[in-house]
Amino acid sequence: MKKDLRWKVILVLIVIGLAIFLAYPPGEKIHLGLDLEGGMHLVLEVVTEDALSIETDQEILRLEAELKKKKLEYKTIAKEGVSRFSIQEINLTQEREISDLLDDMFRDWDYSVIGNTVSVTLKPAAVNYLKDLSVRQAKETIQNRVDELGLAEPTIQRQGTGNRIIVELPGVENPDRIKNIIKTTALLEWRLVLGGPAPDQETLLQDLGGEVPPDAEVLKGDPERTEGGYYLVSKVAPVTGKDLINARRSVDEWNNPAVLFTLNAEAGRRFYNFTSENLNKPLSIILDGKIQEVATIRDRIPDRGVIHGTFTIEQAEDLALILRAGPLPATVKYLEERSIGPSLGKDSIKKGLSAMAIALILVIIFMVLYYRISGLNAVTALTLNVLIIMGILGYLGENAVLTLPGIAGIILTIGMAVDANVLVFERIREELSSGKNVWGSIAAGFSRAFRTILDANLTTIIAAIFLFQFGTGPIRGFAVTLIIGITASMFTAIFVSRLIFDLTQSRKKKREKLSI
Amino acid sequence: MQIFKQPHFKFMKYKYIAFAFSGIIILAGIINITKGKGLTSGIDFSGGTLVQIRFKNSYPIAELRQVFLDAGMGSPKIQRMVEEGEREYLIRTTSPESDIEQDQEQQQEAHEIMGNMIVDVLTREEDRSALARGLADLNNVDTDELRAILQPSFPENAQEIANMIISLRESDDLKGIIENYDQLLEAGIGQEVVDFLKEKTFMGSLAVKRRESVGPQVGSELKTRATQATIWALIGMLIYIGLRFKFAYGVSAILTLAHDVLFTMSIFSFTNREINLPVIAAILTIVGYSLNDTIVIFDRVRDNIKIMRKHHFEDILDKSLNQTLSRSVITSGTTFLTVFALFVFGGEVINDFAFTMIIGIIIGSYSSIYQSCPLLFFWNKIFKPKKGMGK
Repeated sequence: MKKDLRWKVILVLIVIGLAIFLAYPPGEKIHLGLDLEGGMHLVLEVVTEDALSIETDQEILRLEAELKKKKLEYKTIAKEGVSRFSIQEINLTQEREISDLLDDMFRDWDYSVIGNTVSVTLKPAAVNYLKDLSVRQAKETIQNRVDELGLAEPTIQRQGTGNRIIVELPGVENPDRIKNIIKTTALLEWRLVLGGPAPDQETLLQDLGGEVPPDAEVLKGDPERTEGGYYLVSKVAPVTGKDLINARRSVDEWNNPAVLFTLNAEAGRRFYNFTSENLNKPLSIILDGKIQEVATIRDRIPDRGVIHGTFTIEQAEDLALILRAGPLPATVKYLEERSIGPSLGKDSIKKGLSAMAIALILVIIFMVLYYRISGLNAVTALTLNVLIIMGILGYLGENAVLTLPGIAGIILTIGMAVDANVLVFERIREELSSGKNVWGSIAAGFSRAFRTILDANLTTIIAAIFLFQFGTGPIRGFAVTLIIGITASMFTAIFVSRLIFDLTQSRKKKREKLSI
Repeated sequence: MQIFKQPHFKFMKYKYIAFAFSGIIILAGIINITKGKGLTSGIDFSGGTLVQIRFKNSYPIAELRQVFLDAGMGSPKIQRMVEEGEREYLIRTTSPESDIEQDQEQQQEAHEIMGNMIVDVLTREEDRSALARGLADLNNVDTDELRAILQPSFPENAQEIANMIISLRESDDLKGIIENYDQLLEAGIGQEVVDFLKEKTFMGSLAVKRRESVGPQVGSELKTRATQATIWALIGMLIYIGLRFKFAYGVSAILTLAHDVLFTMSIFSFTNREINLPVIAAILTIVGYSLNDTIVIFDRVRDNIKIMRKHHFEDILDKSLNQTLSRSVITSGTTFLTVFALFVFGGEVINDFAFTMIIGIIIGSYSSIYQSCPLLFFWNKIFKPKKGMGK
């Protein structure tokens, strides 16, 4: 064997060995996409206006308190938008003091005085900051909730700097449950009940002359937990979900599923005082604006308590989980959902692989029939190509998951990779028929086909790169296998295939016939 | 073996016929797209919901349609999974806004509500009453839930039993639905456990195997991105050809590609197939593939121009086409074989993609012979470059 052939053979053997090493065992090394493994892909949007609105509410409360403290006169403060409000009918002689107050204590706000009304607007920088913060907090909360679920390999990413979050959860069996867990805002509040339940709002407000008192609001009972109906509840929540340090599923005295919670020390004291002052009054537990439970305060409650309700075991478990992970800073909505059950994923793998095997066999049969022994040469190159794709996928691991379109990409590569061989073989045939000897024909065939192969493959790679750029999960998988496959085909069809010719033809006589 | 010994086909003779053929199809396609029924966008682009459901018992498609009509949900597209008899269907609706009132309180998007409704109306009354009685649906529980149910009575191996049952359910044989308790016994679950489960669970009549819902906002974004990707890919190729070939070749090649895209779109407008993400991926691949074919031919033309100085340009083109014919046929053939295998054996999920590839390969192979060279010929005739393109 010639010296330069020896190192070429060694190189090819190393590539084969490396590919096998990287890809074996494929079940562990090659990561499957959600469409093959089963799981869910969610794109959700944080409604950042919610966070702004909450901030504005809190600031209005703070301003009211400050105005009262400084004895500044005004009629009302009206909220005019998510980040805008106005102080109406101020005493114009106090305009200076109000300005000073806003300058000193409300630096995130711009204001202007027109007549006796002060319009107050959140500064754009603060708006952006709050929006960004709410998305980051939402991401963290969702991360916490998913972590509590104990799922394998979840990924939770923010899409750029926008208000979208992408959640990918492989191997999820019950998508609806997970969706609910992620989506629940989980703002838990304890508030006094002032009236109700009543079948409708009119009945509820009958004794009050049809008007809702300023310190109260009307809420509905959650139909899944209570008998429904309308309640009049206090606006003040002495304790909220933020004060929880723990929550877990438990059972109540009748052995029904319930959620046991523990408050932090400070909130515990507050709750104790609050319950002491309001003994025998009805207290409601409110989750996301819906009343979950109404119970009369029989005892002073220190730092622990139980949420009752008609829970199933799983619902109680999920509520406890959500409460432990904390509330979302704003509501979220699902923009996109793709979930695939595990059995469908398995089915897709099976079908994809059998299509691949059949494609491979068909091409092998065709090549061998058409090009005889040289066809075997192409087949060897082809098999090596598939092996290299597997090896690279194994090497890239999580960065290049195998998807169903990815398998399609490999199948397509099987068809297209032989193109390089075909180009070479057709050239060799032409050279042979023009009277050149076997050796000369092989050399000329390879060198003349090279440029064409390069051109032709690069164009497909260009298409695949753009596909990768714009594509989502499965489509990216297709682009990846196509790019790898075509690149590998240039190595296998030009280098390996040439080497096989060199090895098999080198010792033969120059005039001998080539089986092509 | 050889398909063509020494081919001398007069391809260029048919250039007008080819132009007329393609022209008619594309024109008809464009009219159909703009004035006629247009292209059917899948949920990826128009927003909507797709649900793949497997039933415990066979459920005739007519009955399924009636259920949706009765529920006032119009007629969503229902596709039967052929291999599964009358037990598995793909149901999709692409116009989520119509008739569905948005539930503001839940902050849910219409596409999501639609998906829930599809599952809801297909759920049988007996399932509902079983759930109301506090039984768990064995065809919908997850491992955690099942373990929690088993825990009190089988504290030692609740996890193990739950795992066994769920993996049985998701196995190749059952494909997501357990039909009866005997199947559990056959799989080696103990009699004791099965008796316990009979009291606490029931076998639900359906299981959701796949669910995709895309909001209209995301849909229109995906549409924009897909269009942009296609255009940028074409520009990228134009630049590449511009670097490697003369301008005339680049223009002819790009026109050929535009022909391929329009032709494929036209065919889509005549069939009931939907345009979705995999279809766009396939079209882009076809663009690459067709260009690949065209370049091989142009490469030959470029070589032959140097050799055949005295010949007519048309003859040079014919000669080049004949010389590359074997290669064109074989490569198209092998690629076609593989894509065909994908179409037949690859399953429903990849079917749209495979279908597009099949059409695309046929169109791409046809166009690189009957469009690219005639286009180059006419360019040459109209602009008469001073040198280098034969007589």
